[in-house]
Amino acid sequence: MSETPVALVTGAGTGIGAAIAKGLADEGFRIGVHYRSSEAGAREVAEKLPDAFLVKGDIAQTDDIDAMIKTIKAEAGRLDVLVNNAGYNVNGLTPAMSINDYDAVRAVERGTWYLTKLALRRFMLRQKSGRIINITSVVGHTGNPGQVPYTMAKAGLDAMTRSLSQEMAGRAILVNSVAPGFIDTEMTEELPEAVREGILSRIPLGRMGAAAEIADAVSWLATRASYVNGTVIHVNGGMYGG
Amino acid sequence: METTEIQERVVKILTPYVKDQEALASVSPTTNLLEDLKVNSARLVDVVLAFEDEFDIEIADEDVDTVNTIGDCVTLIGQKL
Repeated sequence: MSETPVALVTGAGTGIGAAIAKGLADEGFRIGVHYRSSEAGAREVAEKLPDAFLVKGDIAQTDDIDAMIKTIKAEAGRLDVLVNNAGYNVNGLTPAMSINDYDAVRAVERGTWYLTKLALRRFMLRQKSGRIINITSVVGHTGNPGQVPYTMAKAGLDAMTRSLSQEMAGRAILVNSVAPGFIDTEMTEELPEAVREGILSRIPLGRMGAAAEIADAVSWLATRASYVNGTVIHVNGGMYGG
Repeated sequence: METTEIQERVVKILTPYVKDQEALASVSPTTNLLEDLKVNSARLVDVVLAFEDEFDIEIADEDVDTVNTIGDCVTLIGQKL
């Protein structure tokens, strides 16, 4: 087994996930670049990172997650950091939202638990160390109209952080969340100007965050934050402090 | 591998997790891990990992649910070898 530590970043083909992958590679991690459908983006990310490898799978499907674990085992034989970044959202007001849309959003949260469980079972418990970092969201704390399932899913992951950190504390495996606020990504670029201005008016720093600023927090948790466990790091320009 | 050898190795793996060390002296296939040997249920995952490493097998979660006694351990491991 190579001594180079390995990090898996889910949803690493675009936006925040891609920035996290780059940040961890800069810290010396070999990166498993996970994607579901953004293959071109994931390949582009992986090609720029030393010895990175692709991990394909739908986090909503347990069979896919089983296959992802096998890929990591075959490619790297170890896993030191798991960054649960992949998420899924369907916007809509509750009275008009279908149960299928609700299930689709929550299925990723369910799969994230399953992936985490397997990462522990197949790698971290044996290695007797590890870091699990859940990328959640400020809206899991403040709420957001039109995003009830999404905010439930993100709040649920923060609850997982708190409970799992207590389960794993005696095993040198630390579990934390990073909760981004509004971050400049391809998704936010498409927002109407009025909506964008409305968002900015709620951010004391007066600007959206950069994906690299989320990656900085993740890199710190993955490497130097040895006494931080079971908490949520808010990275949102001051719009919410926890 | 003979059943007796599997059982010996199972008992050796279990020993550090057994709270009732006296019960180890009279261990049999019907000895219950939690009730007789007083293994802490939170440590069962460590026991399963140790089985996997010792015998070079992979134990599925649904298999773990069927393990209550020393005999269950021996049977499960025997099936996987």
